[in-house]
Amino acid sequence: MDPNPKRPKTVDRVDSVEVVNSSESTQLLCSIDPNRKRAKTVDRVDSAESTQFPDEVLERVLSLIDSHKDRSSVSLVCKDWYNAERWSRRHVFIGNCYSVSPEIVAARFPRIRSVTIKGKPRFSDFNLVPEDWGADIYPWLSVFALAYPFLEELRLKRMAVSDESLEFLATKFCNFKALSLLSCDGFSTDGLKAIATHCKNLTELDIQENGIDDLGGHWLSCFPETLTSLEVLNFASLNSEVSFDALEKLVSRCKSLKVLKVNRNISLDQLQKLLSHCPQLMELGTGAFTQELISGPVTEFKNMFSNCRNLITLSGLWDATPLYLPVIYPACARLTFLNLSYATLRSDELANLLSHCKSLRRLWLLDTVGDKGLEAVGSCCPFLEELRVFPAHPFDQQIFLGVTESGFVSVSRGCPRLRYVLYFCRQMTNAAVAAIAKNCPDFTHFRLCIMNPGQPDYLTKEPMDEAFGSIVKTCTKLQRLAISGLLTDRTFEYIGKYSKNLETLSVAFAGSSDLGMEYVLQGCPKLRKLEIRDCPFGNAALLSGLTKYESMRSLWMSACNVSMNACRALAKEKPRLNVEVIRDEDGADDSQAHKVYVYRTVAGPRRDAPPFVLTL
Amino acid sequence: MEVTLGLLDQIPAIDDGGGVPSGGSTTMRSILTGSKSKEDNKNTMVVSTEATSSYPVVVDESLDGLELGLGLSLGGGGGGLKSKTVVTGGWSQYARILTAKDFPTTLVSKPNSCSSSSSVNIPNSSTSGNKRTATDSVSPPNGTSVVGWPPVSKAHRMPNLASQMKSPTENFISKSEQNKSKNRTVGIKDYSDERNGITNKKYRSVKVNMDGTLIGRKVDLNAHTSYEMLAQTLHEMFFSKWPSKEAVKPSRLLDGTSEFVLTYEDKDGDCMLVGDVPWEMFISSVKRLRIMKNSESNELASRCEENSDRYRD
Repeated sequence: MDPNPKRPKTVDRVDSVEVVNSSESTQLLCSIDPNRKRAKTVDRVDSAESTQFPDEVLERVLSLIDSHKDRSSVSLVCKDWYNAERWSRRHVFIGNCYSVSPEIVAARFPRIRSVTIKGKPRFSDFNLVPEDWGADIYPWLSVFALAYPFLEELRLKRMAVSDESLEFLATKFCNFKALSLLSCDGFSTDGLKAIATHCKNLTELDIQENGIDDLGGHWLSCFPETLTSLEVLNFASLNSEVSFDALEKLVSRCKSLKVLKVNRNISLDQLQKLLSHCPQLMELGTGAFTQELISGPVTEFKNMFSNCRNLITLSGLWDATPLYLPVIYPACARLTFLNLSYATLRSDELANLLSHCKSLRRLWLLDTVGDKGLEAVGSCCPFLEELRVFPAHPFDQQIFLGVTESGFVSVSRGCPRLRYVLYFCRQMTNAAVAAIAKNCPDFTHFRLCIMNPGQPDYLTKEPMDEAFGSIVKTCTKLQRLAISGLLTDRTFEYIGKYSKNLETLSVAFAGSSDLGMEYVLQGCPKLRKLEIRDCPFGNAALLSGLTKYESMRSLWMSACNVSMNACRALAKEKPRLNVEVIRDEDGADDSQAHKVYVYRTVAGPRRDAPPFVLTL
Repeated sequence: MEVTLGLLDQIPAIDDGGGVPSGGSTTMRSILTGSKSKEDNKNTMVVSTEATSSYPVVVDESLDGLELGLGLSLGGGGGGLKSKTVVTGGWSQYARILTAKDFPTTLVSKPNSCSSSSSVNIPNSSTSGNKRTATDSVSPPNGTSVVGWPPVSKAHRMPNLASQMKSPTENFISKSEQNKSKNRTVGIKDYSDERNGITNKKYRSVKVNMDGTLIGRKVDLNAHTSYEMLAQTLHEMFFSKWPSKEAVKPSRLLDGTSEFVLTYEDKDGDCMLVGDVPWEMFISSVKRLRIMKNSESNELASRCEENSDRYRD
């Protein structure tokens, strides 16, 4: 697809529902007349240009394009393409629920079957955003009920979802098939009951990491006997017991089940029974592997996985102990993703396990495996592309366990294809990170969290500037970066200068002055999301991004040095941005803006903002 | 759960010597899973609060104004908890409650920064332009927990403890204590408790279920000042669609003369009739509301038992 090169590119990156700045495109957005397009087709046939595709053909061609970024590019080419694109689009991705209103979406895209929406700022995962901040799905659903009565899929991340919304979804959309809720809150298992009861064609129910009111496991029993279409069922994050009988029957009759992730209450022998009914499974999340729940000796289970020829993902494994872990060995050779972040394994246990896992591409671990465990990763998994090491005791300052820089370096030596790393540690050195960058130049996501805020290189006592400098200099494909440790403005100078592909940057307890943030805002051409906490960036820094923010999805700044007046100035200059300040509950200092959230929008200021959110 | 303060003595010993978490935590597991019950989990996300429910709080009255909760020294730590307690000086101590004197004065730049929902302020944040050198202590004092740091998402918080605590029912800091202390813990603002509906000055919602209705509703108790108001709201929520029947006028919900009876589950898990206690006391102890059909209940007590069992499944 080659968009007309003469057309001015007013935005560097467009989300599916993009904010276009040129007045012409704004006209397009405002003047959509669904009927006009049809009439035009008739006219055009009469005066057909030989080089012009009929709209129907164009639509057919465009319907094959899935990537929403490509679709956005397509829609900018010309009016005809814009129209063809909007009629052929089946899936819309909304990266920030307040950047657009449901009415605008419904007006522009008449034939949507699948919607993905993200709500709260990412730092809400870490309790930095008050409850009842917003991102309620209900207003979207009520518009969709009229515009897209045949909606099939809804995927939500960090949205507020109530039981009423879930009931509404289940009852108003007769063809609804797939629901995925990630990090959402506000609902209880009652809402799940509604989904299970009413969605006759349900193929997917994926509940992850949510703030859910778990009132019991009855919801699972609400699936009717006639439901056989389920392909994905993930209730691993719910704690209460479901009826095993109901689950077993459900699994037996859903022959297309590909993904099954059960919760901790399912024992190993129950799991064995389940697996016997669905050998076609591709992704499995086990229940607990603890001794209390297991009844028989290990030999009983040794064939449990031998029939699962399609299994490529394994997770769960809560409290897996060396006694029962060998049960999964038969399945290990085919695994591409192994999630051990709930299993407190030691280095030797991990090494034994990994020796069977030659095909691993993605591995999630707890830092209980230590540096020695990571050495095993380096030697056993040459194809590894993603590694996440989570801290077993993140909030305990006195612990000296976990992983260090040497573990990371060992992995980098053995796994040159690493692209994605999330690494929590308590010590790091510049030299180690430089070595890692050299070993793995293909990083696209580099998230390093040195858990003690503002900690320097523990050997040289210098700031960690050179570490991240080496990353951005060497890893040209870097899209996402999270930095930590003692950092001066130099780090940001490097980032601004070298990371041409950076889209997401997370900063905490870093920088020395406004310059830091200015470097980033003046460099980083593809920056979309910038989230900052506890840094000495002030008004000058905030305002230096005046021309940048409209090309970004959002900016978050909390516990920095920004004043309300600066925020007001920004809001005044840029009417197409929403500049929101979240007020402190004990609202002491009203002249400082403690939490600022800035994002571009075509929907205007929020109408549903709670009292503690000030839109300037 | 019969867990006493004495247990705290044992906790440090378990992990003494650093040890292997899985080995060390076995003892914990056996202590706590022994009392694993089938009671339902209020909020799966807030493992920390559930974790603390087994341990009594140590409230030091001399630390006026600080809201306190006891964190487990077993790496259960600060993050999701309301407490700032941290083990200082090794494993042989109780978790110690931090006071204002634990903070270097330079760090706390504003008088009310303790109530700020962000972390302890960095010294340079109020004097931008100062270059920070390697020797400057920019981090909070060693051992302090900072809100939302390290950035570990809900799914990966305290997996060890999560594995030990299956489904405790009660939140350990009682509501009356929470209502008493107005200030937040220094530097900590924990919204996970608010999500539980336990303590939230502005929005205090509890779930309301009515017999015969699949979906429950939520009502914000702080928005009401009396039983009459509450009854009115509930009437609008559940009975507004009914033809105006004498039997379901709001006032009759309260006096037991209508077809329905308004009951609630208090913090001890008991089923009580709404309206018996003063409103303030009611608010501080109510956890959940239930509208029951009067005709079905012979004795409120037996009915309530049955219902509480059903809830706890």
